[in-house]
Amino acid sequence: MRILVIEDNLTTRQYLQKALKEQGYEIDLAENGQDGLFLALEGDYQLILLDRMLPKLDGLTVLTTLRNAGKQTPVLILSALDSVSERVKGLREGSDDYLIKPFALSELLVRIEILIQRKGSNSDKQTNVLQVADLKMELLSRKVFRGKNEVILQPKEFKLLRYLMEHSGQVVSRSLLFEAVWDYQFDPQTNVIDVHMARLRKKVEFDGLPSLLETVRGVGYRMVEQG
Amino acid sequence: MNRQQQLQMANIIAQQTLLAEQLTTTQFVEQFELQAHSSRQYILSYQTEQQSIGRLSEAPTLPQCPSLSRFPIWLDQYDEIRLVSGCAQPLGSGTLIVAVDDESLYELKAQFISASAIALCLAILLGLITGLIFSVRVLKRINGFNQVALQVEAGHLSARVAISEQNDEYDHMASHINTMLSQLQHSFETIAGITDAIAHDLRTPLSHLRQQIESEILDKQLENLPTEQLESMLQKLDEILFTFSSMLELTRLQQQREDNSQNFTNVNLQQVIIDAVDLIEPITENKHQFIALQLPSPLFIQGDATLLFRAVYNLLENASKYAGDNAQIEVRLTPNGFTIKDNGPGICDSEKEKVFQRLYRIEKSRGVAGFGLGLTLVKAIIQLHNGTIELLDNNPGLTVQITFAN
Repeated sequence: MRILVIEDNLTTRQYLQKALKEQGYEIDLAENGQDGLFLALEGDYQLILLDRMLPKLDGLTVLTTLRNAGKQTPVLILSALDSVSERVKGLREGSDDYLIKPFALSELLVRIEILIQRKGSNSDKQTNVLQVADLKMELLSRKVFRGKNEVILQPKEFKLLRYLMEHSGQVVSRSLLFEAVWDYQFDPQTNVIDVHMARLRKKVEFDGLPSLLETVRGVGYRMVEQG
Repeated sequence: MNRQQQLQMANIIAQQTLLAEQLTTTQFVEQFELQAHSSRQYILSYQTEQQSIGRLSEAPTLPQCPSLSRFPIWLDQYDEIRLVSGCAQPLGSGTLIVAVDDESLYELKAQFISASAIALCLAILLGLITGLIFSVRVLKRINGFNQVALQVEAGHLSARVAISEQNDEYDHMASHINTMLSQLQHSFETIAGITDAIAHDLRTPLSHLRQQIESEILDKQLENLPTEQLESMLQKLDEILFTFSSMLELTRLQQQREDNSQNFTNVNLQQVIIDAVDLIEPITENKHQFIALQLPSPLFIQGDATLLFRAVYNLLENASKYAGDNAQIEVRLTPNGFTIKDNGPGICDSEKEKVFQRLYRIEKSRGVAGFGLGLTLVKAIIQLHNGTIELLDNNPGLTVQITFAN
C-alpha cells in the first residue's frame, strides 16, 4: 500500500509520514505541486493525499492534470480552505474526498481506509441483500430483518444502517456517516450523530441480542460480526 | 368721472337755472325736492340760509361749477361713506349743489380687495408650487440618504450617497456622511481583518498541537494507559478550533455578500427542512419535544443547499435547546420563505437585535453549550441568499421568520 503525500508544510508532512508509517503504509513525499504531479503520473499509488495550497503548482491544477491524463488514483484533498464552495470545487474537479485542516488523525485514517477499500474492491458489488451476522437488509424492498423479526426503520436510519453494513468491519467516523446519509458537506460538530446511532442501536439490538454496532472511542463506529 | 357725467351735470344746472328763473320760489322748491329725491345718480341739494332742500343735510364748501371737488357723504341706504364729486352753483337766493356718486372709493376698495385676493391666491399658488418642487427635490435627496442608510444597515458598507453638482448643504452633508462611511468601512475591515488574522494564524500552531495530543493518545492507547485527560484536552482544543473556523467562515460569508459569484443551484427548501428535521429529531424526541411540519408544497430558491441546511438546522437546534422539555415546535413553509415557532420562553425585545451579534449570549443561556456564533452565521447565510430574518413574539415563545426576496 503506497501513499503519495503532496504537502508543503514540513510539520504536517512529518506528522503524516509518522502516522501513516505506524499504520503500515509506505509513503512518498513531495513538497510542491510540480514534484507531486511528476510522482503521481509516474508512480503507482493506492492513494494520493493532496494539499490545496502548494508552491509551483496549485493543488487543483495537479488534480485536473492527473485526471485529464487518465489517472484514476483516489485523491484525498487536505485543505485549510474550509469554505463549502471550495470543498465542492475540489470534489467536482475529481477528488474522492476532502478533509479540512485541522483534521483529526483518526478521521484521516478512517477516510484513507474507506477510499483504498472502495477503489480496491472495484466499486460496489451489485447486490440486493446486505448481511452482517443475523442482520439482513433487502435493498429492493427496503426491509430489514434481525433473525426472523422485521426491524422497522425510518428512511434516514435505513441509510445509516446501509452505510455501516456496506463498510462492515471498517471504522466509520461520525462526519462520514453524516455526509453519506444527509448528503450535505459539513461537520455538525455536535453529538447529534451519536443520538441517531443510539436510536438505531435500540432498534437493531433488541431483546439482549448480541451487539453488532461497536463504538470506537474518539473515532466513530464499526459494524462487527461478533459483539 | 367721465365726460358724460360732466355734460349731464351741466345740463342739470342749466335746467335748474332756467326753472329758477321761470318759477316762483315755492314752485321751484317743490319741483326741486321731487327732482332731488327721484334722481338716483345725481345728488341735488339747494341750500338757502333758512333751509336745506334735497338730499344733503348740510352744505359742504364746494368750488363754483364747473370745477369739481370731492367730498364724503354718509349714505343711509347703503350704510356707508362714499366719496362724491360735486360743485356749487349760486342760484337765486341760494346755492345749488350738484354732486355725482362716482363710486371711486367703493371701486377702489373693491379693486383693492380683489387685487389683494388675487395677490393672495397667486402668493399661495406660488408658494405651493415652489414648495412642492422644493420638497420633491429635497425628499428625493433625503430618500437618497435613506436608501444608503438602509444599504449600510443591510451590511453593504461600500454604499455611498450620491453628490450633485450644486454644492449645497445637502452635498456637504452627503460628503460628510460618505467620509464617515469610508472611515467606518475601513475600521470594520481592519477589525474583521485583525480577528480573522488572529484566528487564521493561530489555527496552524493549534492544529500542530492537536496532532501532538492525538499522537500522544494513540501511543498511550497502545500501551493501555489512561487517556481521559488528553481526550478532554483534545475536546477543548477542538472547541477553540471550531470557534475559529466558524469566525473565519462568517467573515467569508459576510464578504461574499458583496459579490454574488457563488455556485448557487436550484434548492428545494422543503427537502432541506425535511432533512434538517430528520437530523434533529432524535434529540427533540429525547426531550419529549414535538415538531409539527407544515410543508404543503416544494419551494425552490437559488442557493447553496449545505448553507441553507445549516441555517435551518441551527434554528431548529436553538428551538430545541432553549424552548425546554415538552416544547411544541412548528416549521412552516410560507410563499416566500419559512417560519420556525416554539412555545418556550422567547427572547425579550431588548435582546432581539443583539442575539445576531458575534459571540453575544443572553445572560440566562450562558449555561447552554454554544459560542454565540450560531445566529450570526444563520443571519449571514440568509442575507447571502437575499433574505431577511426576523425574530417575533409567538406569545409565548419565539417565531423566527425567514423571507427571501425572490
